[in-house]
Amino acid sequence: MFTVVVSGLAIGMLYAAVALVYNVMFSTSKVLSVTTGHIAMLGGVFGAWFMTGLHLHWVIGLAGAIAVGALFGGLTELLAIRRVLNRSDEHLWLLSTLALATMVQQAVGLWWGTEPRPFPRLIDQTFSAGALDQKFWLPIALAALMAIGLEVFYRRTLFGKLFLAMSEDAFAARARGVSTDRIRVLSYVLSGALGGLAGFAAGQLTFAYFALGLTLTLNGFIALAVGGLGSNVGALIGGAALGLLNAFASHWFGGSYQQTIAVGLLMVVLLLKPEGLLGSKNVRPV
Amino acid sequence: MTANLRTGIALAVALLLVATLPRWAGDQYQLHLAALICVYWILIAGLNLVVGYTGQLSIGHVGLLAIGAYAFAILAGKMGWHPAAALIAAGALGGLCGLALGLPSLRLPGFYFAMATMAFALIVGEIVLAQVGLTGGGVGLPGPVFPAPFDTPHGFYYLVAALAVLTTWLSWNVARRLWGIGLMSIRDNPVAAQAVGVPLFRAKLTVFVFSGITAGIAGATFSSLQSYITPDTFVFELSLFFFVCIIIGGRGSIVGPFLGTVVLTALPELVAPLAKLGNFFYGLLLLVVVLAVPEGIGRMVEVVIERVRPRVVSNEPIEPDLPRLARAIGAPS
Amino acid sequence: MSSTVSLPVGPAFAPPVAASTQQAAATLEANDIGKHFGGIHALEGVSLQLRAGEVHGLIGPNGSGKTTLLNLLSGYYQPNSGVIRLDGEDLSTATVQHRSRLGIARTFQKPRLLPTLPVLDNAVLGAWPHARAGFLATAFGLPWVGREDRALRARAVELLHGVGLGHVLRRRANLLSHAEQRFLEIARGLAMRPRFILLDEPAGGLTGHEIANLGDVIRTLRDGGIGVLLVEHHTDFVFRVCDRVTTLNVGRVIKHGAPDEVRNDAEVIRVYLGA
Repeated sequence: MFTVVVSGLAIGMLYAAVALVYNVMFSTSKVLSVTTGHIAMLGGVFGAWFMTGLHLHWVIGLAGAIAVGALFGGLTELLAIRRVLNRSDEHLWLLSTLALATMVQQAVGLWWGTEPRPFPRLIDQTFSAGALDQKFWLPIALAALMAIGLEVFYRRTLFGKLFLAMSEDAFAARARGVSTDRIRVLSYVLSGALGGLAGFAAGQLTFAYFALGLTLTLNGFIALAVGGLGSNVGALIGGAALGLLNAFASHWFGGSYQQTIAVGLLMVVLLLKPEGLLGSKNVRPV
Repeated sequence: MTANLRTGIALAVALLLVATLPRWAGDQYQLHLAALICVYWILIAGLNLVVGYTGQLSIGHVGLLAIGAYAFAILAGKMGWHPAAALIAAGALGGLCGLALGLPSLRLPGFYFAMATMAFALIVGEIVLAQVGLTGGGVGLPGPVFPAPFDTPHGFYYLVAALAVLTTWLSWNVARRLWGIGLMSIRDNPVAAQAVGVPLFRAKLTVFVFSGITAGIAGATFSSLQSYITPDTFVFELSLFFFVCIIIGGRGSIVGPFLGTVVLTALPELVAPLAKLGNFFYGLLLLVVVLAVPEGIGRMVEVVIERVRPRVVSNEPIEPDLPRLARAIGAPS
Repeated sequence: MSSTVSLPVGPAFAPPVAASTQQAAATLEANDIGKHFGGIHALEGVSLQLRAGEVHGLIGPNGSGKTTLLNLLSGYYQPNSGVIRLDGEDLSTATVQHRSRLGIARTFQKPRLLPTLPVLDNAVLGAWPHARAGFLATAFGLPWVGREDRALRARAVELLHGVGLGHVLRRRANLLSHAEQRFLEIARGLAMRPRFILLDEPAGGLTGHEIANLGDVIRTLRDGGIGVLLVEHHTDFVFRVCDRVTTLNVGRVIKHGAPDEVRNDAEVIRVYLGA
C-alpha cells in the first residue's frame, strides 16, 4: 500500500514539475506552451543517451539534460513565441508551439526509437528496494526543491523580481526600462532547464520514451489547472492529487483508464472552481 | 464573364473530374488514395467550420473518427445491421459525442479547450483498447463492406465521393451565407460578435456537433475502406493531420483546406522520403505556415498575385449619400 | 424579460415600423446607476435618458465614466445599483445579444472589425439580429435563405453607400483607412435596424471634413427616428450636433441640458472645457 502511495506521489511530482514549468513560462509570456511536456521528455531521453550511449558519468548526464532542456526552452521562445506574440491573432502561439512540439516528438522518435528505453541507475541501489526505490524519491525530492527554489528566486533575487513585475504588468515593466524580450527568453531558458532536470530525475520511473512529451504536456496541464494557474503550491497539490488518484485507481481497478480518470478529476475541479484550487480569479487563463 | 459564372464553371469542371476519376486514375492504388482523400475530406469539411471559421482549435477529432469507425464496425459487423443504417447511426453517435465533448469544453479558453479535445482523443483510445469485448481491444475489428454496388473499389469510391460532395455542399452553404460571417466573427472578434447578437456558445456548439456528425460518417466509411481497424489506426497524430490540412489551406475557405487535404494525403505517397518523416513533416509545415503565412497558402497565393498584378487602390474620400441613407433606414427591406 | 416590451422582430419581409411613428415613450435610460470595480467607483447616481429621434451627447474628462456608462447601456457590464430601462422595462439582466435584438446598437472606441473580410461582409454581419435563417436551413440551401441573404446584403449595400463607403465595398477591412473603419462600424450598427445607436468616440482620428460628414450622418439617423448617444471629446462637434448633452465628472453627472446651457455652465467649464 505504501508503495502505491509513493509511486503515485512520484509520478504526480513529475506532473507537478511540469506544472511549475508552465507557471514560469506563463508568468512572462501569458502563454501556455504545448512544448512544456516535451522539455521533460528531452531531459529523460538525452540523460539516458548521455549515460548509456556516450557512457558519461551521471553528473555529466544530468548537466547535459539540463542544458538540452534549457536550449529547447530558449528555442521555444525564439521560434514559436516571440515572432507570434506581436500578431493580432490571439491564438497563433497555440499553433506554433503545437507544431514545434510535434516536430521535436517525431524527431526524437525517429532518432531514439519508438520504444521506451531504460534509464540507468544514478545511485547504487538494488531493484528490490520497493517503496524506497530512488525512482520514486528522486522526482519527489526534485519537485519539492524546485518549488522552494522558485520561491527563493522570486523573493530574493533581482531576476525573480523582474519576472514577477512582468507577470503583473508587462507594459508597465517595459515602461520602466525592463527588456521584456530578454526576460521572457530568460524565463523560457530557466524553465527549460528545470523541465530537463525534472525529466532526468524521473527517468527511472518513466523510461526514456519519445511519446512522453504529449502525455506530460496534458497531465502537467491537468495538474496546473487543478491546482490553479499561477500558483506553485497549487502545482504541487494538483500534481499530487493527480498522481495519487491514478495510482489508487490503477491499484483497485486496473490501469487501463488512466487518462479518463485524470480528465475526470480535471472536469470535476473545473466545474466546482474554474480557476483551480489555489488559482486567483484575476489570472486570465489563455 | 461574371464571378458567378466563373464559379459555376469551375464547380462543374470539378464535379466532372470527381465523377470520372476512376477512368483516368491509373491503378487501384490511386483509386484507393482518392477514396481515402474523400473519406478524410468528409471529416475535414465539417471540422473546417469549427477550426477554420469559428476558430475553435480542436485537436481531438480522431476520437470522433474512431467512434464512428467502431460504431460502424460493431453495428454492421458484429450486430448485423444494414450498413446504411449503421452509417447513419455512426453519424448520429458522432454528433452525440460531439455534443458531450462540446458542452463542457467550448466554454473554456483556447489552450484549455485544445487540451480538453486532445484528452478526449486519448480517452477514446483508452476506452477502445480496454473494452475488449466490444471492440476487440488491441486486436481490433474488421471493417464491414457496403452492399452492392458499393462493394467494389469503383463503387465504394462513388459512395464516398458522393458523401464528400454532399458534405462540401452543406459546409459551403453555411460558409457563404450570413452564418459563415457570424462564425468568423466569433473567431476574429467575439466582442463584435456579441454586439450584433451572435450567440457565441450556441453557435460554437452547433458547428461542433455538425463536425461530430461528419466525423462519425467519415469514420464509418474509413473502417470500410481500411478493411480492418485497430486502436493503432487512430493515433493522435491523425488529429493533428486534419488540423494541419485546414490551417495550411487557410482559415475561412473551403477550397483551401480541400487542396490542403489532397496535397497532404497524396504527398507522402508520392514522395517516399516524406513518408518516413511523416508527422515531423506536418509539424514543420505547420510551423512554417504559422510563422510566415498565418492565413494559409491560399492567402499567400493571393499576396503573390497582388505583387505581380496589383489592383489599383483608389483612395476616394468618404462622401455620404444622405438621401440614400435615409431611405435605407426607414425603408422596408 | 417581460413580454410586454414591443420587440422589433417580425416576419423577415414585413416593412418595419419607422421609428418616428412609434410611441413617444421610446426611451433607453439609465436610472441612478452605480458601478464600481473593486475599490474604484466608476459611476455614482448617474441617470441619463436617451429618446428616440434625439441626439444625446455624453462628455467629460478622461476617466469620468463615459465608456463605462455606454458599456452598461449596451450590456457588457451589469450595474451594481440602479436600473437600465428600455421603454420602461428593466433591462439590467439582459445579455448583450438580447439587447441587440431589442434594437440597441453600438460602435467601439477602437473599431472592432473582421480584418480579413470585405467591407460588405463586415456590414451585413450587423443584420444578424433579425435574420431568420438558422444553421440547418442555411446548410441545406433552402431557397428562402438565399433570398433573405440577398435582401440583407442589398440593404447593407444601401447603408454603405449611405455612409459614404460605396467605393470600398469589396475591400478587406484591414486595408481601410481609420475613418473608413469608423464609418463601417456605423453601417454595421445600422444594419441591425436599431432603435438606439450608441457611438463611442466616433470622431476620434477624423479630419474636419470627415467630422462634418459624420455630423450629417448622425442628423440623418436622428431624422429617421433613431436615438443616438454620442460619447465624444470633440466638444465643438458635440454642441453642434446634439439636442441634449450630459456631462460626467468622476463618475457623477454635473450638468445636463441643451448644448448652450452645458457649454456655458461654470462647473463644466472648470472641470472640462477650460477657460
